[in-house]
Amino acid sequence: MSAVLKSSNGKMQINMQSCRTFAEIKDQLEEQLKTAGDFWLGGGVSIETGHKVLSSKQLEEIQTILSGHGLHLQTNDSEASTGFESSGHDPSLFEQLPYYEDTALICKSLRSGQKIFTEGNVVILGDVNPGAEVVAGGNILVMGSLRGMVHAGVFGDDAALVAAYRLSPTQLRIASHITRPPDGELIVVQCPELARIRGGKVCIEKLKI
Amino acid sequence: MKSRVLVVTSGKGGVGKTTTTANLGTALAMMGKKVVLLDTDIGLRNLDVVLGLENRIVFDIVDVVNAKCKLKQALIRDKRFEGLCLLPAAQTKDKSAVTPHQMKNLTNELRSDFDYILVDCPAGIEQGFRNAIAGADDAIVVATPEVSSVRDADRIIGLLEAAGLNKSRLIINRLRSKMVKRGDMMNIEDILDILSIDLLGVVPEDEVIVISTNRGEPAVMENASRAGAAYRRIARRVTGEEVPMFNLDDSNNILDRFKKLLKLAR
Repeated sequence: MSAVLKSSNGKMQINMQSCRTFAEIKDQLEEQLKTAGDFWLGGGVSIETGHKVLSSKQLEEIQTILSGHGLHLQTNDSEASTGFESSGHDPSLFEQLPYYEDTALICKSLRSGQKIFTEGNVVILGDVNPGAEVVAGGNILVMGSLRGMVHAGVFGDDAALVAAYRLSPTQLRIASHITRPPDGELIVVQCPELARIRGGKVCIEKLKI
Repeated sequence: MKSRVLVVTSGKGGVGKTTTTANLGTALAMMGKKVVLLDTDIGLRNLDVVLGLENRIVFDIVDVVNAKCKLKQALIRDKRFEGLCLLPAAQTKDKSAVTPHQMKNLTNELRSDFDYILVDCPAGIEQGFRNAIAGADDAIVVATPEVSSVRDADRIIGLLEAAGLNKSRLIINRLRSKMVKRGDMMNIEDILDILSIDLLGVVPEDEVIVISTNRGEPAVMENASRAGAAYRRIARRVTGEEVPMFNLDDSNNILDRFKKLLKLAR
């Protein structure tokens, strides 16, 4: 594995491609700085993200690690280096998205009576049938039809969101909000949708990617 | 009025316990009674779906007995009838999540607020069945005119008697009078002969049941439904009213009735 922190042409760079997960990068960085002692003291560090995307919270975490060893994060002139622009995503959505360390990947459909609980995010590669339950501390993403009960942000995170390829849950909960589809109306939407809290209410909107 | 706890049971699965509970409960609520329906089929809950209340469930029977919520919080008020409530089963647990003792306490707690407490029993004779009958005053046994269903009903009646429930009453469900006439189906007398308990009512086979179950609206609300009418009569009998048995003749059209009258005149 290549080093996280590299020095080239008198410039120090954190290479995000060197590790697989953000947690690994943090650990590696911490270790490298510890062994280097005050060799790099007072220097500025830039970040090479490559194809990875960093959230503002992750940036902040790197900043605290660096400042703990007498270094500072050099803000690049172009936004592209932090990965926001280059990825072509709506930056506002990523700014609002709460950050969770762990994401569980479920590679099957959930049938009635089956229940998934995770403290972080959950991604389901399959359907969630009526009678199944998905409860997560973070965000919930269903790459199939969501017809069961989901509860995102179960520890009270209002910013958590639920997205599904087809969003038609029996009940949808975010933090302390409980919603259900209206009686008598059959709403058929043939596109991926996103549910999140806006202005104290759960709103369903088209998922724009 | 003293409140009654009635358990709807059958032994065999698929004979219409849940349909009977939903329709009988709704019919009693239509008569202005205060009714609560208890789904004890933990792990395979259906009663909420039949009543069209599935998306309102927040707490369930397991949460109530484990004191995770108050009983009033878990009760779901029906969207059509003021006096009708549902206490749903849990879907992600199993029958061992509740004990007969807890069920008895639960039904006793409900007595103060409701006239009728209908308990929807799961199929089988294991813990789910023992839970369901724990707090019951009386049992309603549902059977279809099939040898296997009647055999299971007989076993269930025996178990009910062993548990001290001696006044079980029978509902014969899904009767096809044309088949009975042809001699292809057990008739009411045959069934009563074997089971030797009081008949509470006979419900004819009716397509409306399938439609109403899928829609989440009990068939008793459909005036045109023959099964719905049968359930309304059964509800009146449950309240103690004397109601003559339904004419189960399939020939309900005016021409047939006219022919019958002519025959009588001759």
